Amino acid sequence: MSAIADHPGIDLVEPRGMPFATRRKLFLVVMAVPVVAYVLVVGIWPLAQGIWYSLYDYNLIRPQRTKFAGLDNYVEIITDPVSRQALINTAIFTIGAVFFELALGFLLALSLWRDDRFNRLALALILIPVTITPLVVGLIFKGLLAADYGMIGYFLAEWGLTDPRGLLADQHAALATLIFIDVWEWTPLVALILLAGLKALPADILEAASVDGATGLQKLRIIVIPLMLPAVLLALILRTVDAFRVFDTVYVATGGGPGNATNTLMLHAVKQGLEFFNIGRASAIANLTLIIIALIAAGFVMMIRHADRKANGK
Amino acid sequence: MHDIKGNHMKNADAAKLATAGLLACLMGSTALGQDKPFSGITLTIAAQNDQFAPVIAELAPKFEEETGATVKVDILDYGSLLTKTTADYIGDTEGYDLVTMDIVWAGEYAENGYSVELSELIERDAEEIDVDDIYPNLMMGLGNFEGKQVAFPFAGYANVLAYNKTRLDAAGLEAPTTMEEFVAAAEKLTDPDAGLYGFVANGQKGPASAQDWMQYNSEMGGAIMGEDGMPTLNSDANVESLKVYRDLFRKAAPPGAAGYDWGGREESFRQGVAALMQTWSVGAPGYYNPEISKVVDDVAITTAPHSGDMAPSYGIGGWGMAINADVSPEEQEAAWAFIKWLTSPEIHKEFNLMGAGSFLRKSEMTDADLLAKFPFLPVLAETFENGDYDYRPRIPEYPQIQDFLGTAVNSVLVGDADPKEALDAAQAQAEDLF
Amino acid sequence: MTAKYWFQAGRRAFLLTMLVFFLAPFLWLATTAYKPSSAIFSIPPTFAFSPTLDQFRTIFRLFDVWSLLRSSVLIATGSVILSLALGVPAGYALARSKSRYAMGIAYFLMAIRMIPSVAALIPFYLMMRDIGLLGSWMSVVLINSMLNSAFVTWLMFSYFRGLPPELEEAALTDGCSQFGAFFKVALPAVRAGIIACVLFCLMFSWNDFLYPMFLTRLESKPLSVALLSAYGTKDITWGTLGALAHFSTIPIVVVILFLNRYFVQGLTKGIH
Repeated sequence: MSAIADHPGIDLVEPRGMPFATRRKLFLVVMAVPVVAYVLVVGIWPLAQGIWYSLYDYNLIRPQRTKFAGLDNYVEIITDPVSRQALINTAIFTIGAVFFELALGFLLALSLWRDDRFNRLALALILIPVTITPLVVGLIFKGLLAADYGMIGYFLAEWGLTDPRGLLADQHAALATLIFIDVWEWTPLVALILLAGLKALPADILEAASVDGATGLQKLRIIVIPLMLPAVLLALILRTVDAFRVFDTVYVATGGGPGNATNTLMLHAVKQGLEFFNIGRASAIANLTLIIIALIAAGFVMMIRHADRKANGK
Repeated sequence: MHDIKGNHMKNADAAKLATAGLLACLMGSTALGQDKPFSGITLTIAAQNDQFAPVIAELAPKFEEETGATVKVDILDYGSLLTKTTADYIGDTEGYDLVTMDIVWAGEYAENGYSVELSELIERDAEEIDVDDIYPNLMMGLGNFEGKQVAFPFAGYANVLAYNKTRLDAAGLEAPTTMEEFVAAAEKLTDPDAGLYGFVANGQKGPASAQDWMQYNSEMGGAIMGEDGMPTLNSDANVESLKVYRDLFRKAAPPGAAGYDWGGREESFRQGVAALMQTWSVGAPGYYNPEISKVVDDVAITTAPHSGDMAPSYGIGGWGMAINADVSPEEQEAAWAFIKWLTSPEIHKEFNLMGAGSFLRKSEMTDADLLAKFPFLPVLAETFENGDYDYRPRIPEYPQIQDFLGTAVNSVLVGDADPKEALDAAQAQAEDLF
Repeated sequence: MTAKYWFQAGRRAFLLTMLVFFLAPFLWLATTAYKPSSAIFSIPPTFAFSPTLDQFRTIFRLFDVWSLLRSSVLIATGSVILSLALGVPAGYALARSKSRYAMGIAYFLMAIRMIPSVAALIPFYLMMRDIGLLGSWMSVVLINSMLNSAFVTWLMFSYFRGLPPELEEAALTDGCSQFGAFFKVALPAVRAGIIACVLFCLMFSWNDFLYPMFLTRLESKPLSVALLSAYGTKDITWGTLGALAHFSTIPIVVVILFLNRYFVQGLTKGIH
């Protein structure tokens, strides 16, 4: 580097003369700034307004009645039985859906591990549910499970396997049915991510284990599962975040019913926000949802870093 | 906190609308392009996906030919329609020029001044419109709230009783005229082993279950609002009617009705599964259509029943057409011309012959062409003449009240909730709104 | 017969069962498009019907299907391009940066993807009104890209981290510009990862309902919004829904069929 570059004052007029490290830094900042700026303007700014709104009793249809409410909107989510049940339903839905998606997805990924023509075609076809508009997924199952004319619901009811009113109208089974629908829709994506994780496993370690006489199950437990953790956690985060915000399928399949048996936080928030334009309350529900998701995700991130360190430390 | 609703006082402009609208209806002959009064104007209608929507879209080119204004119809489901049009009004974004307004939104429209106030225009063009030919109940119900004409009626729906005459005859029954007879007949006509049920109503959570129950509730002497303008959701009459309704629903409705909204309910009747159904008249033309109906030769339609000890309470519903108050005076003028054109006797008759199922005028009830196609018109005439359009309160708070009721009724019908407890909870929520 | 044979047979049987499980519901909807409505509602359900194209005629009567398709394509491609243009360079920068803030920014961006749609929707609506973009497909692109670009950054961050920096360093020493090293050396090496990002963004933008429902107008309405209207309120119209679902599903399924191999490859490289 030339001696001129050592004079900070001249850097500005002659950027080429900057030390490489500075130019490198500048370049990387320029590459990263647009997305951060974009997200701040388009994402964080509206979100901040939402936080502001959530402190008011504010209905867009009746703006003249707006008044400061402090944390009332948040307190009401906890005390109002409808919101509280929505919170519980959402939690059950998320845990159930994510658990079954990971379990079934892992089985699928293991079955698809070998790279042959059949598996490649199977993977492509299995991905179809992921590509279908979620609203349509909800409607498909509403139609299939209808107790009177549904291809599945009719026979289930006829054989006495379900409530004659159908799975989606049975208050004890509706939430489980929605979990089932979510599993149908998203397991393929989980399988895809886990499959990618399997394919990323270093072949030499597996071979070495075979040479050492490890059985299939031992290989799975000692090598595959620990090395798969980053993939598992990616799937876990993606699915938890999305399952917690479930809206489309529930909206069309049950509308939150019977009673409030399948009411979820997002359904509740959308109704408050986009139906009644009660933006104070809607923002509060949405913000609370965001906080919960972020906390869960933060927990997962800790796990990722821990797993990362373990994987890299080897 | 800023008020996002701009201070638009465009309602006054409406009164100044030029008489060009009048021309629109008189112009039968095709004039040169530049002579057409609304050349270059595009009207966008937000329309509920009911039977009338595609018909409006099909008639639109004819309006364009006569007046030069292009009409585009955005067909939306109920939820999207409410959300998008409300956002359009409160954000002053002028997305839609004309909006189909559900009868129950009238209060909200009036309170917030979303739409052009039409009273003066109607008075001015009374002769051209032939106001006397329009049922007063429809003019009031589908557009007038506390003296403000927020929309112009174009699709009157009557709550009627559709029944499967063949099955009633076989059971030796007459069409029920009282709720007591209705309940008895429905139970008698139910034979689950044969897959036959006495009646069908909406069980799905939300507007579907709320609206159907409100209908039966008013026929059994219940009411949503008290004399003092406060909600009375948990009145004794309402609790009693919900009990009767729940028992009827469990005994005589197809099990799947727990998940039905209007579509499922109509289908159940058209497939011959349910023998009795109270419903909006807009679906009635479908029962006579062999492509979708299995009861073409069995169906009959009559006025809705009511409790024996009270005067008839026939439900009226339907849609008015509202002009967005935010759009320019020129567009408002073209929109008003379109409303007059669509509801004119000639076009409205064609509209119905094309399957809109949306009646409005007294003259339509005796029109030979219409009667030949829709033999049930006298029932509509009777309902429109004597009906009640306020059994679902058209107040600004209606959407929320409906939501509370939708959950309460559904949890009683489908869940195991106690009617009294469910309505108490709904009442407590509703009181918070006032 | 060896144990291995039976293991393979069992694996195939499991996959075939899964194929039926994942495909049958979709095939049911697709076939309703060719059924007369009497067959859709027959009790008990029937598998036999005489095919008809009436449902397709109905949707063309109700909707300007080509305009819906056009809007869907514009929204999806616009979102993919904007999200990648913003996210890929940022992912690279964060991966190569030695700053201790880099990791923090990456996680902050991941958190963006968690924002519930309804939280930002109304303020965003008013923002679009004020800059005159309300009702255009571009407004949907802008908000989709907010969620997608953050996610792309996060995903590409892990891809680039897995890519040894030596190649770029060599290129830089040979006199290549910094952007050149990124564009000509690093970018081709993460091609599969980029395709994975494209697919994620594509599926999200193509299928999203709430944003476009709220932000578009008739002329910019995409298929995902029209689907619910096709289902109807006063009539359950599985047939028209099935017919319209053809248009919303076939394009994306074709894309997935061709690109899913890169999907796996891309994720494989990104996971470590």
